[in-house]
Amino acid sequence: MHELSIARNVVEYALSEAASSGSKRVEEVQVEVGELTQVEPDVLSRSLSMLMTGPKLQGCRVVVTTARATFECRSCSSRWGLAEVRRELDEVPDELRVQEPESRELPLHFLPQLYSAFIHCPRCGSADISALGGEDIRIRRLALE
Amino acid sequence: MSTSDADGFYSMGARARLRRIRQVILVGSGKGGVGKSLVAAGLALSLANRRRRVAVFDIDVHGASVPSYFGLSPPLRSSSKGIEPDAAGGVSVMSVGLLTGTRPVPVRGGLKEGMITELFALTNWGRLDYLVVDLPPSTGDEMLTALRLFRAKSSLVLVTTPSEGAVSVVARLAALARSERIPVEGVVVNMAYMVRKGQKLFPFGRAGPSLQRSLGTQVIVEIPLDPRISSQGLLSLMPRRSPLGSALGALADYVLNPESADSQR
Repeated sequence: MHELSIARNVVEYALSEAASSGSKRVEEVQVEVGELTQVEPDVLSRSLSMLMTGPKLQGCRVVVTTARATFECRSCSSRWGLAEVRRELDEVPDELRVQEPESRELPLHFLPQLYSAFIHCPRCGSADISALGGEDIRIRRLALE
Repeated sequence: MSTSDADGFYSMGARARLRRIRQVILVGSGKGGVGKSLVAAGLALSLANRRRRVAVFDIDVHGASVPSYFGLSPPLRSSSKGIEPDAAGGVSVMSVGLLTGTRPVPVRGGLKEGMITELFALTNWGRLDYLVVDLPPSTGDEMLTALRLFRAKSSLVLVTTPSEGAVSVVARLAALARSERIPVEGVVVNMAYMVRKGQKLFPFGRAGPSLQRSLGTQVIVEIPLDPRISSQGLLSLMPRRSPLGSALGALADYVLNPESADSQR
């Protein structure tokens, strides 16, 4: 469900860029999905394809890739990936999970910037951590004709 | 272009949401503990009581408190239209606190702009007459993000207590608003007095003409200190004929019609 909102924003951005540059159509959109966002790349890809209607978007190629999430602790300088904190995320109670029609999603699914409220350094337990990658959704390439 | 870019594609979604909102009222003080969230929540409830479509957007990332005034807590729901705000008293409410509950949110500055922009863009606000934005203390990332997002449709209501220390900090926010060309509606003096056995008491001093001079704007209304807020809650007190409810109603009347409403002392 959230993938559809993301897709709408991406499509609106692409159309806006096409309009402001005077382009006839959008040839290709490449979107990189950060692992931390918990967004499903294939669902996003299908949502994007579904929204590719109209003369400026007809035939537009949709490419969705993923970026691994990496974190660093500012207290002890440890680095780790999502696998090391998967259990901590799995233990987030249902009361904090956003109710979608067919699932319950972590708040990070919608606002990945909240990661320090849900993840701690697996070595020293600090919440003073930074994401070094895989924490957002990026348009990697927008090809316009 | 990414979700973390200040002008990323969520900014476009934010502009689309803002087109369906008639007016934005920023409620701020620059200082903590003066009652901004109470004023923001009370203003929204009073506007809703006057049959306006209204929502509150609590952008205090670290100390979200607006949901508690409405008796709201996680979880939120989402739909095909976005994240659905929660609601109480005829007011829609969105806050980071409705995503994080009682967890601390140790987020560094650079992330807050993207977070607030994204949350605004993702929320299914619908069509609104008023969006009341509860600003956190300080004139940092959150305030600057609010100015960037809502500049075209916003005005500022300042909140202070009568104390000189509070007024001096609030004056800095007033100055920032003017430099950013945000209209200042006026100032609300919270905890201005309390009533004991029919007598008015002024535990934090009296707000005099010097307050208006310091802030460069008029006092819209004085709000009394009402200890029943803690035990009974704002939603419970608002419908009653109480000095608190009357003062917040006067604030709403001023917002609705500043030329004809008298500012009250």
